[in-house]
Amino acid sequence: MPTGVQLEIDISGEARSMCCPGCLAVAGMIASNGLENFYRQRSAYSERPVEPEQIDTDKFLIYDQPELAENFSQQETSGDVTARLLLGGITCAACTWLIEQSLSRINGVEQVAVNLQQARLDIRFDPKRIRLSEIFARVEALGYRAQPFQTSARKEQLRNEYRADLRRLGVAGFGMMQVGMFAVALHAGDIQGIEQQYQGLLRGFSLLVSSFIVYYSAGIFFRTAWRHLQRGALVMDLPVALAIGLAWLASAWATFTSTGQVYFDSVVMFTFFLLLGRFLEARVRQRHAMTWFDAENTLPDAVRVQRSNGWVTIARSQLTQGDVAIVQAGQTIPADARVCRGESAVREDTFNGEHLPRSVTGGDTVYAGTVNVEAALQVEVQGSYADSRLAALQRSVEVAETEKPQLAKMADRIASWFVAGVLLITSATALVWWQIAPEQALWVSLSVLVISCPCALALATPAALTSAASALRAAGVIVRGENALETLSRTTHLLFDKTGTLTQGTLAIHNVQLLSKHSEFEVLQLCAGLQYWSNHPVGGAFATVENAAHFTNVDYRVGAGLEGDCGGQSYRMGSEQFCRQVCSDLPPLPEAPFYWVALCQGNTPIAWVGLSDQLRAEAPRVIAQARDGGLQVGLLTGDSSPQGPLLARELGIENVHVGLEPQQKMLKVQQLQSEHAVVAMVGDGLNDAPVLSLADSSFAVAGATDLARTQADFVLVGGNLAAVTETWKKAIACRRIILQNFAWALGYNLSAIPLAASGHVPPWAAAIGMSISSLLVVANSLRLNRHKPNFKERHG
Amino acid sequence: MDSLYLLIPVALVLVALGIKLLLWAIDNGQYEDLDKEAWRILAEDRDGTSKKNDSQEISDD
Repeated sequence: MPTGVQLEIDISGEARSMCCPGCLAVAGMIASNGLENFYRQRSAYSERPVEPEQIDTDKFLIYDQPELAENFSQQETSGDVTARLLLGGITCAACTWLIEQSLSRINGVEQVAVNLQQARLDIRFDPKRIRLSEIFARVEALGYRAQPFQTSARKEQLRNEYRADLRRLGVAGFGMMQVGMFAVALHAGDIQGIEQQYQGLLRGFSLLVSSFIVYYSAGIFFRTAWRHLQRGALVMDLPVALAIGLAWLASAWATFTSTGQVYFDSVVMFTFFLLLGRFLEARVRQRHAMTWFDAENTLPDAVRVQRSNGWVTIARSQLTQGDVAIVQAGQTIPADARVCRGESAVREDTFNGEHLPRSVTGGDTVYAGTVNVEAALQVEVQGSYADSRLAALQRSVEVAETEKPQLAKMADRIASWFVAGVLLITSATALVWWQIAPEQALWVSLSVLVISCPCALALATPAALTSAASALRAAGVIVRGENALETLSRTTHLLFDKTGTLTQGTLAIHNVQLLSKHSEFEVLQLCAGLQYWSNHPVGGAFATVENAAHFTNVDYRVGAGLEGDCGGQSYRMGSEQFCRQVCSDLPPLPEAPFYWVALCQGNTPIAWVGLSDQLRAEAPRVIAQARDGGLQVGLLTGDSSPQGPLLARELGIENVHVGLEPQQKMLKVQQLQSEHAVVAMVGDGLNDAPVLSLADSSFAVAGATDLARTQADFVLVGGNLAAVTETWKKAIACRRIILQNFAWALGYNLSAIPLAASGHVPPWAAAIGMSISSLLVVANSLRLNRHKPNFKERHG
Repeated sequence: MDSLYLLIPVALVLVALGIKLLLWAIDNGQYEDLDKEAWRILAEDRDGTSKKNDSQEISDD
């Protein structure tokens, strides 16, 4: 990142400074296209786009090859092509708006739609006027990553289930309104008196509509109940199907014989509210299941390889063992490979979480998914993706997922007992009433079935979870794990990763030891001037210093440091060994546990500059809050330097484990779990993904790799650690609400069943009672989402 | 009251139409992404960025 360069742009008449040329370009495009609304409507900041010079439009050309394009696009009969792209970096609805608006203005694009939940772009375009590769490049230029969207069978199935649920619910809603209207007329008729023919007419039409609803919307209850009954299992759908079926049959009989009472309205209302509860529950569950990433998606799609006719770009899937590929600085290495030419450094935070790169040279092995930082490398591919270390890591994530302690859902646990109980009580009621008054037996038993419907019970958990999740979402926390909130509320141990989680994961200047008469300010200016030419993460530490020293003849030595001239003097900056070559007077490395770089002028040492990873400002408060709340706080880090224990002492963390491989982190968590601890883990980076999925509940800090994000139950989008304790408090509140809901629903059912069994509740009242009970549960759950206005009052 | 014999079937036809519309909308994917739709209404007219403006810019291209 160049310093001292003013990057400013006019947005809505105000000059705004930009962090990098990429943002400048994007902001310029946004503003000049009249898309300033993006800046007003975004609810979260986008990820930083790559700088324009790094956007390699050539790399998208492979998508124009028909054999690759047909995987994610198809030709319509009109000649247009529709394609589906997976978008990386969409954070909020304003992003979808920006993408839709700017793509739809391109000549040749017919239709654009972005699906935020699936991060999917559907685009229809005329292939004669625009090519697929251009669309990819345009998306990338906006600052989002685009790659082909792979439909999996499971995603399709989820989508179809969602649509089917919605259809049933919608149809039941329409039916409920119609039958309800007829029912009002019929009840009024009961009170005022109604002619036989009109009563027959209204009942007939009620029968017609409700038969359709029972067939179309309630059919699923019958099918599920029957399927489980065949296997000898009692499910909640059984009493539901019985109640609906019996009430409908009896009402139909009453209609044909013009006797007794009809309860068509209860039948459809019951169906509608049950479906509504199911739909809400399914939505919560689907939201978590919608997006999950494949580690393979983080690899580049196009690779430049050597062929007999020179360098050509091919799709990564076409790579074979022995191919020689070129990886430019800044690019991700596409496959496990051996370096055959060039010298560089690779950042392997994917595997070890550390942000300082490892130097590699001819003969060294580099891994798929790591980033080549310093200079171009020629590598010989060693094997396919399935054999790579990255694939192995992903597999261990999947294994960890299955080993995670599973919580049987409370509703499932009690369901079969509950159902058996309901059936017993109903049969007993029917038998007793058969003795007392046979003509009442059916209606009373129906009332018992309806009133004991576990509707509120089934809603108790999902309603509270949805409400808590939407409150958290507004606070910048995305909830993914299904049972995560319930588990989090019972957490006993809170474990943190170090680099990138407790710390910011970037180097910053921490200490300058002056060795000559130069002032600290001069030293820093010299450093910034030299580091301007570097790709190494060390360079980033000096980006905040104004770059006033202008160096010439700068030579960049991979893995060592920089050399350059300024004001007639020659300077060297870099590792101890590199500087000692010309400057033998350099004093030994200071002892403090920092990352030290030396600066020399000719053969005179000028300074040691100590760099370190900065602690996140909110970290001490978060840890203090967690400890006050009675949690055991621990630190698990892959870093073996003395930094870890130092940091832990500073923060007051007692449980510290340093130098852990991902496997060892998992062992530590498993060990705690075997001692009945409930572990919450906070991490970032792909290397944390297995341990995150093993922990009972997990947090990923944004900026973390996509995989780690999706393995975690909670994603902190704002990158604010304070959200960890906020989420924990919300989880406890959520658990309290769930318990209240259960208490209410069970209490209601238990007190209403005797009333219904003694014949005091007609079926219509039972159906209304059930609905009110469900509504109360929902209203109680909404309290979790309530305190936001107070926040505004304080600040307004 | 005899009008009921006409009005109820008419109401049922309207309901059938409503259901048909709803099913069409569901199959058309209009309920797939409820988060975005909530925003869309804010997006269009907030700053006078109306449809008219959009079409002009397309013809400029």
